[in-house]
Amino acid sequence: MYWGGNPAECHPRHFTKYTLMQKSKFLPRGRKDRTMILVDIRETKSGGAADIFLQIRPGKDFEVLTILRAILKGQHVNESAIAETGLTLEQLTDFIDRAKKAKFGCMFFGMGLSMTRGKHMNSAALLTLAAELNAFTKFVAMPMRGHGNVTGADVIMRWQTGFPFGITFNRGYPRYNPGEFSTVDVLVRGDTDAALILGADPGATMPQPAIDHLARIPTIVLDPKVTHTSRLARVHITTSVAGISAPGTAYRMDEIPLPLKPALKSPYPTDQEVVRRINEAVARKSHWIPDGGPMTILQR
Amino acid sequence: MVSRRFILNPSRTAKQGALINSGKDTPEYKAVVTTLTMDAADMKEMGIESGDSVIVRTEFGEAIFQCEPGKCPTGLLFVPYGPPTCKLMGGDTDGTGMPTSKGWDVDVEPVPK
Repeated sequence: MYWGGNPAECHPRHFTKYTLMQKSKFLPRGRKDRTMILVDIRETKSGGAADIFLQIRPGKDFEVLTILRAILKGQHVNESAIAETGLTLEQLTDFIDRAKKAKFGCMFFGMGLSMTRGKHMNSAALLTLAAELNAFTKFVAMPMRGHGNVTGADVIMRWQTGFPFGITFNRGYPRYNPGEFSTVDVLVRGDTDAALILGADPGATMPQPAIDHLARIPTIVLDPKVTHTSRLARVHITTSVAGISAPGTAYRMDEIPLPLKPALKSPYPTDQEVVRRINEAVARKSHWIPDGGPMTILQR
Repeated sequence: MVSRRFILNPSRTAKQGALINSGKDTPEYKAVVTTLTMDAADMKEMGIESGDSVIVRTEFGEAIFQCEPGKCPTGLLFVPYGPPTCKLMGGDTDGTGMPTSKGWDVDVEPVPK
């Protein structure tokens, strides 16, 4: 099942390499042994691959998921509540019947679920539905990520700090609080007075108030190309391209690490090399607090 | 000119994704991220023809797009993410770290020819 995602456009190999077409020991006929349900507010190109398309009204994801959970638990559902979602009781009951009968179900959810009104509450409702379906059969859920190797950033931050994003180190140890320490919030509030951008182009993706703040403060960009962000930055260091002229590791959306072997040589340093040299230069400077860093203060 | 309220859903397309790697300064990329898909009946109702410019406003900003008819429910608009959609996006993340990136209430007004 895909919810609020359009893999035919955004993850074009997902159907063929991963979810629908692959033949296996338990599903020897590949696509014929699988059922795909697509839930979205419009019929996208992915609709052509789906057995069942459920077109819901915009902003009604949480309501649909909550109704599905109620049906799963045999609770009464108000007809007017169902009518608001754009679906019928028959469609929703059929969804649950198919999910319960599946041998192994997987829910993939995209930005159409996680970035609309409700946001993390929508994602939590879908994850809860997947968890509750495990009373009947095996069910898992996985997010469809928006940018390349976002999974890699999450995995590394989790491994290093215990948290995936929205982390501050300003007390000398990691603290996690989305909405307070996450990048957009820090920039929009104007909390930060410098920024280092690696492998991203927030100048072409973030809300305008965040972009405006990046232009106000000393922003340093490491990027192989001139980008919207590099144009507003005080310093742009050209680096080699990961996977083409620089080695490294990229993470697949299911958190499988894939080693990158460069095919070409580059006259430019890698991101890693630049950050290492910046760290060495910073280490040579005396600390900005005369008697040491924040940890020293805490230990007193 | 009369404006009308729509729900705008910025999204991704394969063409936009490929053009990000070609370069965001190319005319093709700029054309893709400024092309708004609207229901043909909605376009007719507003007196907009394919290729006409419209100004789209949210409470946070405004941007100009070119309209084209497409497979799209009435009252909804779709446009690939890009610098113009950044201007329409608010900075509040509702405590999640993620700004609301879809489902914006927008006012659309045709640009006089």
